[in-house]
Amino acid sequence: MPERLCTIQPTVNGIAVLTIPGNKTVSARELLDVLHHQTSALAGKSDIKGLLLTGSEDGFCNCQIENSLSIHNAATLSSFGQKVMFSVEKVGKPCIVAIDGECSGLGLEVALACDFIVASQTASFGFPDIAVGLIPYCGGSQRLARLVGKSKAKELIYSGDLIDAEEAHRIGLINRLYPHGQTLAQAEELITHICTRSPNAIRIGGEVVNAGYDIDLQTACMLERDAFALCFSSFDQREGMQAFLEKRQPQFKGE
Amino acid sequence: MPYKKLHIEVMNRVAYILLDAGSRFNKLSISTIRELKRAFTHLEEDAAANAIVLSGYPGESFAVGADIGQMVHFSPHDAFHFADLGQSLFDQIESCSKPVIAALNGITMGGGCDLAMSCDIRIAAEGLRIGHSGAKLGIITGFCGTHKLPRIVGKNYAREIFMTSDIYSAVAALQMGLVDMVHNEKEFWQNVSAFAERIASHPLSSLSAAKRLINAAEDTDLRTGCLLERETATHITALSGLHS
Repeated sequence: MPERLCTIQPTVNGIAVLTIPGNKTVSARELLDVLHHQTSALAGKSDIKGLLLTGSEDGFCNCQIENSLSIHNAATLSSFGQKVMFSVEKVGKPCIVAIDGECSGLGLEVALACDFIVASQTASFGFPDIAVGLIPYCGGSQRLARLVGKSKAKELIYSGDLIDAEEAHRIGLINRLYPHGQTLAQAEELITHICTRSPNAIRIGGEVVNAGYDIDLQTACMLERDAFALCFSSFDQREGMQAFLEKRQPQFKGE
Repeated sequence: MPYKKLHIEVMNRVAYILLDAGSRFNKLSISTIRELKRAFTHLEEDAAANAIVLSGYPGESFAVGADIGQMVHFSPHDAFHFADLGQSLFDQIESCSKPVIAALNGITMGGGCDLAMSCDIRIAAEGLRIGHSGAKLGIITGFCGTHKLPRIVGKNYAREIFMTSDIYSAVAALQMGLVDMVHNEKEFWQNVSAFAERIASHPLSSLSAAKRLINAAEDTDLRTGCLLERETATHITALSGLHS
């Protein structure tokens, strides 16, 4: 029953809003399945320009704690979870997360796989499952350390403590902090604004950022140079620059 | 050969490269990039300078990217060579043995932002306007920005900056870590000079060793980096012993 776990409302501007509060009776596998299925389907839809993931005040992607798996099943779950996060990362459209409540465990893993996170003051973040002997298993330890630095990542994962939104903003875990009750509206406005930009440039730029992050700078810059040159065979480049020179809004096609 | 797009002053062991490309925005045209390369080659050899400050002061902008009027007609081939030229300048700034400080006096957009990121330290005036407008123009940057920006502010802020194409303030830039210091307009230049002179008062051999090591830290595994540090520190100590 994917509808029970994830509701999708496409807005008029081509933004798909995925609401995934999850709940404590759902297994991680079930939730990952739904996420995989929905994001893959949206990736292929040309009328969807951007994705906004959100939960409720009760949480985001909550699920059962996986504390009774065999070693074999744990490895399988982790492989699958990592695969799903890579597919979220490679969705090819801007994808942001808006958090109002608790974003922990699997929820934080999902949020870390998106382009960036915005939240309100009532949000909290962490990996509390260390208390039952669990660590992040969908790439969260790697993404968190790369985003906030090794020390902060260790502090969060070792302690299992939840940090509030202000602390999350201070350490760079979330990009924007909104007043309570405004998160979703502000996030929708932001993603809509982003989607007025060239889809081509956003996709190529995002992929080059990801591809270049773990390799040496010189090789990464070669990659960028070639991708930059590729932009000059696109409709979007001609349209974007013409519009700039004519002082009008560009009409991008993503071609 | 005299410079047309910039001028150079050397004072109290600090060399100032002041961009003045003849327009409000200090566009990074092919000729400006070539002059900057020449200026860095020259200052690398100039024994009177221990540190370099790059700025558009006292103008309205630090620098912006290429002239869109020219760029709109670029073929992929032109774009490839333009990126190559820009990247060779940034590589030169990073490999320069002297610390390079970017004094961001105002508008710092696109290629100008990339130029600032190739410098070692960024000091901004309160009126800073910084950003990357590629996605608004239908392109990505070709001047190393897609890799420099995530390494400086983290991937998430980098993606936000690229995706929104918005202009960010000095306060926002400081919060993200894109600039290291912000000063009000009145005290800006005085603070830049004081900071640069303090750095320039230190031995050049130590400054360039530190710069090389910190740059290497970006791409090297910890053990190799530590090995490099030990060898460099030993070498530097031996050198200073010889001189004392």
